[in-house]
Amino acid sequence: MSTVLTTEDVRNLRTGAHFLTCTIDPTAIYVYAEMIQRAMEDRSVELVTVDELAPDDLVVAVGMVTQGLFIADMPPVGDEFLGCIRAIEASLGRPVRAIYSLAAANINGIVPLMVGLQSSLPVIDSDPMGRVFPLISQTTLSIGNVAIGPIALMGATGERAVVEVESPQRAETLVRALVTELGGWAATAMYPCSAQQLKEHGVHGSITRMIRIGQILDADTPVEGKLLMLAELLGTTRIARARVNHIESLSRPTDLGLPAQPSSLTLDDETTGRIIRLEIQNEILLVLVDGAVTAAVPDMVTLLNSEQGTVVNIDDVQVGDVVDILKITAAAQWYTEAGLDLTEPKAFGIPIAHPRRPHA
Amino acid sequence: MRVGLRLQGTSCRTVVLDGRAVVSAAREVLGGSLPEALESSLSGLRREFGSGITEITADVGRVLAERKLADVVAIRVSPRPPADAFHVTVLPPLVEPAVTRTVHVGGGHDLRGRPLVRLDLEAFLADLPGILSSGARNVAITSVGSTASKEHETRIADAILSSDRDMRISISSDFYSSVFRDRDYTAILNSALMETGEELAAMLEEGGRRHFPAALLSFGKNDGGRAPLSRLALAPVHGLYAEPAMAILGAAALAGIPEGEVILCTEAGASVGHTRGGLPAARSLIRQGFDASLASNAAILEPYTVHHTVRPDIPSVIADLRERPETALPFGLVPTLPAAQEAALVGLAAAPLTAWIDRLETVSGRAALQLVQNRAEEDAHSAAVQLGASPGHTNIIESNVYAMPYGNPGIVRIRVQAAGETYGIGEHTLPAATLGATP
Repeated sequence: MSTVLTTEDVRNLRTGAHFLTCTIDPTAIYVYAEMIQRAMEDRSVELVTVDELAPDDLVVAVGMVTQGLFIADMPPVGDEFLGCIRAIEASLGRPVRAIYSLAAANINGIVPLMVGLQSSLPVIDSDPMGRVFPLISQTTLSIGNVAIGPIALMGATGERAVVEVESPQRAETLVRALVTELGGWAATAMYPCSAQQLKEHGVHGSITRMIRIGQILDADTPVEGKLLMLAELLGTTRIARARVNHIESLSRPTDLGLPAQPSSLTLDDETTGRIIRLEIQNEILLVLVDGAVTAAVPDMVTLLNSEQGTVVNIDDVQVGDVVDILKITAAAQWYTEAGLDLTEPKAFGIPIAHPRRPHA
Repeated sequence: MRVGLRLQGTSCRTVVLDGRAVVSAAREVLGGSLPEALESSLSGLRREFGSGITEITADVGRVLAERKLADVVAIRVSPRPPADAFHVTVLPPLVEPAVTRTVHVGGGHDLRGRPLVRLDLEAFLADLPGILSSGARNVAITSVGSTASKEHETRIADAILSSDRDMRISISSDFYSSVFRDRDYTAILNSALMETGEELAAMLEEGGRRHFPAALLSFGKNDGGRAPLSRLALAPVHGLYAEPAMAILGAAALAGIPEGEVILCTEAGASVGHTRGGLPAARSLIRQGFDASLASNAAILEPYTVHHTVRPDIPSVIADLRERPETALPFGLVPTLPAAQEAALVGLAAAPLTAWIDRLETVSGRAALQLVQNRAEEDAHSAAVQLGASPGHTNIIESNVYAMPYGNPGIVRIRVQAAGETYGIGEHTLPAATLGATP
């Protein structure tokens, strides 16, 4: 059943997109949520399931790709995504029937709503990550051999490009280089595919999940109650409630062309005496408890303020803060051999296999 | 002796410290006007303490907050203007009415400091006569990427000053935030406060010089430090929310805990801050819900909740700042500090000179990182000395490096705070170890 989203949905989605982003600064999400709510005063955005589309309908992922200047430091002027969709339509000679999120968290979890409002295209409640990953090649569509190209890009300068490419890894290299020269981010449209392909290889229920998370976190409920409801919805487990005692930047070597530098947090669980280490690069990639791997990408790890139950921004973490460290299991596709090849810690330069990899 | 002085409405309130001892409890002087109250307050201090007063630090936050904001022209430099109404930068309700005109100029830089597009100075110069003839006196300039390069902001500022040297200009690169709307909001608010800042600085300077010609005059800042009065005319926004920081600092000073937890109880409820290195733990942004944040280093003060973890290993002070402390404090809290109501004034009198370095650096590895961090620490030390601190009594309080999520792999943010005193360590208001600590 298609749903017309409300401004309340957008507020909840804002919180849910932040929660699943594993602690990245949420300002760009806030900016987009505010713009969307204003736009909804005289327009509406329709959320549909992939089943509601004809199998052959052309659908395309929309999302920001960044490498440098923050989206919040150079806000989009507003015509970028529409330009990208037009470029895809021109390249393929077919109209786009619906759009979907490139990722199910952070700014890319909310951007499609603005694009839907501007274009009047329905937004599909599916995505190709089920969370957010830093590389455009790290998608379940990629696992399913769905072509990533053609990719349309447009930066805030108004400059644009269409990349005809097949290999997701090669696309990563080309797009990242273009994004740097476009100023630091680009609006993109990629993974043009049929609704049937998205149905077979995507992750579903992405938008409604973020909205539900927001409903839980924004409610006037004690923290323990929120944790219980999150566990029921997402299978969330609390790894520890611990106090930050050390923050370290550039804590590991990096030469893989991944955006951002690695950093680490060390925390003390004052109840059990356990020492917890978080390895971070854009997201929290690895959690070690007394040296043992307790969570590893593609698992999602996020932090909540232990007193308020609000999402913690990594930028705001201070030595002495007490946080709840939460683990969320990712979409099932990510624990297949092909999924782990793309996203386990080794893919981020950490020489550790995921515990769920056979014979790890 | 050092004076903490708070201005509000048509009154002045003061506390005098000698080292760590309060030698004159809080006194309030009411006048027919603020200058009259200040004159009366300062003359009273002179009669009682004469030339023993060496430093006066004023909290001007309440006056800044109660005055009407001046009109501001907002100049935004970016590659292209918004294509529709939804993509226009939205300002918090506090400053939105102060912006009388918004001007877009093509320009901006990327995070590497490279121009995204050429600065369209010719188009701006064509607009400039219209801006100047409108009677505008205050301008805020915000450019995309000005954390990496402030060239376009300064060229626009220079163009304005070439036509009218008396314009008050605030540029966003003076305030660190990686978010355009935060810098834009901060530069606009700062610009809108500059006229009041000038007026207050002149009033305090004139009164202070007449009664205490040898005293160092400062204003209290949002981070719990102070800056010379001359800075008040240029960056008044850093003095807008000084009171919470000063309350943390004052309570910590009275309790003698340079490293610990400070619980403040006011009519509005209980809140928690921390001191590290003898100063309030600070954050570079004052967040305001989902609105733009103010890009000013400010003490962190968060609501005390029933879930608050009590840590016996960390020194803690509970200060009751309520005007009517007859009823019990919330959460079963029991004050540990007698007569703490004037903690914020004590904090003002105790505040050291503070300086921040907050900037982006390009590094290729650990050695390069260490180099740029060392350089930032030297620059912060120098900045504190330039404010008047003695080189021998200036220390690094905080020195951090931050990875930039989804940024260029080689670019990091370096953030350093230095604090110093103008005189011998023996006269510090906090224990000697305080300002020597480097966490």
